Amino acid sequence: MDFFSSMRVSASGLDAQTKRMNTISSNIANAETTRTAEGGPYKRKDPTFAAVTDRESFGEILENALDEQVQGVMVQEITEDQRAPRMVYNPSHPDANPEGYVALPNVNPVEEMANMISAQRSYEANVTAMNAAKAMGQKSLEIGR
Amino acid sequence: MDAGFDSAIGALNTALNLRLANQNVIASNIANADTPGYKSKTLDFESSLREALGTVEGARPEATHPEHIYRRATDPVKPEIYDDPNGVESLDGNTVDRSSEMAKMAENQLLYDAAIEMLKKKLAMQKYAISEGGGNR
Repeated sequence: MDFFSSMRVSASGLDAQTKRMNTISSNIANAETTRTAEGGPYKRKDPTFAAVTDRESFGEILENALDEQVQGVMVQEITEDQRAPRMVYNPSHPDANPEGYVALPNVNPVEEMANMISAQRSYEANVTAMNAAKAMGQKSLEIGR
Repeated sequence: MDAGFDSAIGALNTALNLRLANQNVIASNIANADTPGYKSKTLDFESSLREALGTVEGARPEATHPEHIYRRATDPVKPEIYDDPNGVESLDGNTVDRSSEMAKMAENQLLYDAAIEMLKKKLAMQKYAISEGGGNR
């Protein structure tokens, strides 16, 4: 247990939120993409977070059962949203089906924006936590000065 | 630091360790604020400190034999960390309240700084005593 374990936990949070932000950007950028490598329209991506125990070395595991409770976060997997694509009537589109409907990605820009704000706030919270740990560490150097 | 100059220094040392542990717990909660099913953790600072200092009645067994082992003030503290019983579960089973964690963190940081200042004062007083009250000669 030291200042660095707190900072590592916050760093894992920053990393996870960055990955979340990346999937959101990808979703927004591809909101109108009708062609993908797998065929069909783009499918919305969503990261799944999982808590992981902060373990750097064997020594740490040995000395600290406490660290079992101090958990970082990681992106376990990125799943595709299985909701149906949006069907929009546009017969002139090259990917339109015989009835004239185009299958557009199941991306809802409002949802993505809300998600983005949440990711941003979480990121900021992790930055604050990391700065707090850093300030504490710096303060401890003042002992005996 | 049972046999030190000043027992308060030992107490402050324990308090600082607990504040650090608390910071780790809070950072962990904040990092996992979006993790489905994560339960907010909490550390009871006051009771952990009381236990670590052995001021709880019966918390420290009497060492009646030289080979008896009991916790000394210099041993690393092992505070009890448990799932926050007051956490409100959101739809994904997460119980982290981000704003309350931020508030707890700010409080924890201030009290950590306060303990450091106290420690600095205690050490300065000892330095003064050691130099026979003559200051830095």
